[in-house]
Amino acid sequence: MRGPRPTVDRLDRPSAYYSNRNRRRNHRDSRDGDGDDFKNEEENDPLKDATTLYVGNLSFYTTEEQVYELFSKCGEIKRLVMGLDRIQKTPCGFCFVEYYTHQDALDCMKYIGGTKLDERIIRTDMDPGFEEGRQYGRGKSGGQVRDEYREDYDEGRGGLGRAIQADRLRDTEKQDRDDGDYGRLK
Amino acid sequence: MADYDRRSGGGGGGGGYNGRKRQRYRDDHDDDRRGGNQRRRLNEAPPHVRVRKQLLNIAENPMRPWHEEVKSTADLFTDNWEDERLRANFVDLVLQLSLEQPLKSPFLAAVVLVANLNKPEIVDMLLAQLVSNLESRLRDGEWRDVKLYLKLLACLQSCLEGEGVFPVLEELFARAVDLQTASSEDTIGTELVKIILLTLPYVMVSAPDQWQQKAADLMDKTEIIASEPHTLQALIEPYHAENEDDTAAISQSLIGLLQSQLQNEANNGWALACLPRPWEFPLKDVEMQSRLSSPPKHTLPPISVPQTVVAGPRPLFPEVYFSVYREQDVESVPPVSNAAASLIRDALLDTINVLDYNRHVPARQLIEVDCFFAPRTFAPRATPFDLLRNFEPPKSTWKPEDVAVDAVFSQLFQLPNPEHKLVYFHSVLTEACKLAPAAIAPSLGRAIRYFYRNNHHLDLELVNRFMDWFSHHLSNFGFTWKWTEWVEDVDLPDLHPSKAFIRGAIDKEIRLSFAQRIKNTLPEPYQALIGPEKEKETPDFKFADDKIPFAAEGREIATLLRKKASDEEIQPVIERIHAMAIDNNLDPLVASTHVFVTSVLHVGSKSLSHVLAAIERTKDRLTDIGASSEAARSQILTSVMEYWSAHSGVAITIVEKLLNYSILSPSVVINWALVGLAGKTQGEALAQGHIYELTFNTVMKVTGRVRQLVNKRIAAITLDKGVPADDAETAAAIEQEVGAMRSLFKDIEDALVAFATGTKDEIMETTDGLDSTERERLVKRWGERWLRVYRRRSAIEEAYLIEREKEREKKEAAAAAAAADTKLGETAAVLDRDGDVVLGNGGIVS
Repeated sequence: MRGPRPTVDRLDRPSAYYSNRNRRRNHRDSRDGDGDDFKNEEENDPLKDATTLYVGNLSFYTTEEQVYELFSKCGEIKRLVMGLDRIQKTPCGFCFVEYYTHQDALDCMKYIGGTKLDERIIRTDMDPGFEEGRQYGRGKSGGQVRDEYREDYDEGRGGLGRAIQADRLRDTEKQDRDDGDYGRLK
Repeated sequence: MADYDRRSGGGGGGGGYNGRKRQRYRDDHDDDRRGGNQRRRLNEAPPHVRVRKQLLNIAENPMRPWHEEVKSTADLFTDNWEDERLRANFVDLVLQLSLEQPLKSPFLAAVVLVANLNKPEIVDMLLAQLVSNLESRLRDGEWRDVKLYLKLLACLQSCLEGEGVFPVLEELFARAVDLQTASSEDTIGTELVKIILLTLPYVMVSAPDQWQQKAADLMDKTEIIASEPHTLQALIEPYHAENEDDTAAISQSLIGLLQSQLQNEANNGWALACLPRPWEFPLKDVEMQSRLSSPPKHTLPPISVPQTVVAGPRPLFPEVYFSVYREQDVESVPPVSNAAASLIRDALLDTINVLDYNRHVPARQLIEVDCFFAPRTFAPRATPFDLLRNFEPPKSTWKPEDVAVDAVFSQLFQLPNPEHKLVYFHSVLTEACKLAPAAIAPSLGRAIRYFYRNNHHLDLELVNRFMDWFSHHLSNFGFTWKWTEWVEDVDLPDLHPSKAFIRGAIDKEIRLSFAQRIKNTLPEPYQALIGPEKEKETPDFKFADDKIPFAAEGREIATLLRKKASDEEIQPVIERIHAMAIDNNLDPLVASTHVFVTSVLHVGSKSLSHVLAAIERTKDRLTDIGASSEAARSQILTSVMEYWSAHSGVAITIVEKLLNYSILSPSVVINWALVGLAGKTQGEALAQGHIYELTFNTVMKVTGRVRQLVNKRIAAITLDKGVPADDAETAAAIEQEVGAMRSLFKDIEDALVAFATGTKDEIMETTDGLDSTERERLVKRWGERWLRVYRRRSAIEEAYLIEREKEREKKEAAAAAAAADTKLGETAAVLDRDGDVVLGNGGIVS
């Protein structure tokens, strides 16, 4: 047990994304509103000594060197794995940063998560550790899933969502074709 | 609709709901008479939840008068006294809040004081728990917690029997005297006196006009310790005077100031105008006020202060008062003669340092600092600095933003180190600036100008912290800064501290972004500082040019490396270089090292991952080179720094990894920078931010390693298993590392003394346009500044080793005692408890 519920939420807790995935996996529900909800956490929490962070919302153009520059402020980086488009093998806006110590990773959640890198607000999340294969986007077209159907235009992340872009492309092509068809006898 | 409006008005609160909600409500409960109450019940959480919420948010709403908020919370609590959950939670929550959100302590105390009128039992419950918590913190040397509990207690002085909190303050003082008489370097005694002095004002506002004599007696005693300059103060002085006339560069000791500020207050009848008094009710509440002035009294249970107090988990140092707004013509922060300077600062620092786990909260409380102090302590929020000039007394000119920002900077610029990583303080400032840009940004601007103006006599370590913060901060705000105001300094010689700052800051900005982007943010005169080489993502491969010696060999090695050829295939090329070098009277190994390392770097030039992989693959050869000769070792570093000269961040990261692989040793880095490069450049290297960074990181790596080993050795001693069998080997290994660390510091000292005393021959041979005496003066000054940084680092590491050794001996003794006790057959439970106390003190600190 880690003592009573703090009067201020902690920033070095895993995100709802992680907890929800994890909870679904373990078929348990530990959140009950008040009282302390830390008690039910299992001893073998995969994040107990985690030294790796998932970093999201990077620009596709942000380099490893820039990531090093910022994330080294929380401690020496042991390994950096850039997230790549599964098909094109180019950066697709996320990475894994591994530190030497758990404390450095926690500090990074607290001090760097939610601040800007390369003029974008980045997101950090505790991660149980990098495994081969996880460096690739899981979206249909090779990038991250979130970049498939995104409706806003984000220059740092390839403009509109890829699926939407593809649709539009099809539309224009179709239109081109239609235009080309104009006047032709069918 | 008409009857509906009337009903919701009569229901007590909530006329302003939108129609849809009302409609739904009506559908659900079509009962006019019960309507109002029903809604209230639906919207309201159980009392323990509401009390928790009210306590957590106390004093945050500036529109709500304190006494109302205090009374409603206290009443809600006492009205629901029968609710067991509420009763149980209340004490714990008040104590927890007093540690976690220290600005709120006086308000919590006020709630307790009002609750005391109806349910006096609550105070006894609270005191019992408070005393027990306080005693455990006293045992563990958790001095901030001790201070914060005492602050809460001091605010309750008016309901305490007898002398209340004074006896424990006197007891603490007795310990301080013992410690200070035992050693002039003692820092625990200093800390205790600081705690006493910071508690006293809260006693005086809680129970005015009663304790003046008592306070005067106590302050007579603290005077001797507080006014004596501490022997270690020079070590943590943030300024580094240029010469004897540079009197601006001397800080005042924190407890010395406190003592004299409180003396002023005592002479002034303890007005303490800045402190909140939320237990005071307005005149119309005369009955309430009179009840509060003769409340049910409670005996404070005796508090035992251990005979030997410990330093606790954080190394203690004397502290100085640091302010970036001290040179202004208008007082935008409390002057150092006023106790408000120390009291507000102290409460803000606790808030900042306690709440590092959620920077948004301290940032918000900093911006809203005026909510937590007496009305009219501050000027209105976001008052432009220039308008303060027109303020007539008694209107305050203290800008809440300046006070807040000043507190953060005092931590960012604390020597030897603040409590948290530097980047935490960056993030608090970023957050504050995001929350209230119009209010905070101008304050930061004036702070930046202060640092820039005083850069020449700030400690060099702090100048580099400033550079790091400045570039990082700008990177969060679109890299906008009024560079035009320093434009005249662009043409200063590189050795000038202002120019060195400009160059260093721009370099760091580029590292967080890219050259073209930063260039676009700079006025034209600065753009010449960003050469075309910085805009290239990967440096040119020098061996692509046939005019360069060994060009063909360089290209050949690069091709082989790319093909991941075996070492046997590379060796013939290396031998060819050796032969050619000997023909040309060059050191063969240096020549081949340069070609080989440059080729490795070129092959890995695409990204850090690439270069690290390339180094990993050629690690054996590189290690062999490093082991073969001093010159070759040095050449590895020269080649790295040359190849990545336009991107210092990459170079520094590569060197870090080469150190990890033990391809380079720390002393190679130090000698390369401070003897080789600094000599070759006639001292100019000392003015380069990235050279400072390179050496500083290297030294921190060494000291960090030593600390880690020492702490590991202590942690290995356990009560049940005692000292591990391999302790002697560990000790020997540590001794070796400590020896290496000391010799590294010695190398640094020797190299820098040569510059600092002007005995380095090279300085005399001036080549550029700079007047030779001026040049000599500048270089000498850089030498002095570097020297001071590393002398301090060395002293701090030595002090740390002594402290940890004491701790280790204590733990060893405890383990031996535990072993003896076990033989005597005592119960395991007692052992465990005793053991915990010892282990609590011996926990690893970094």
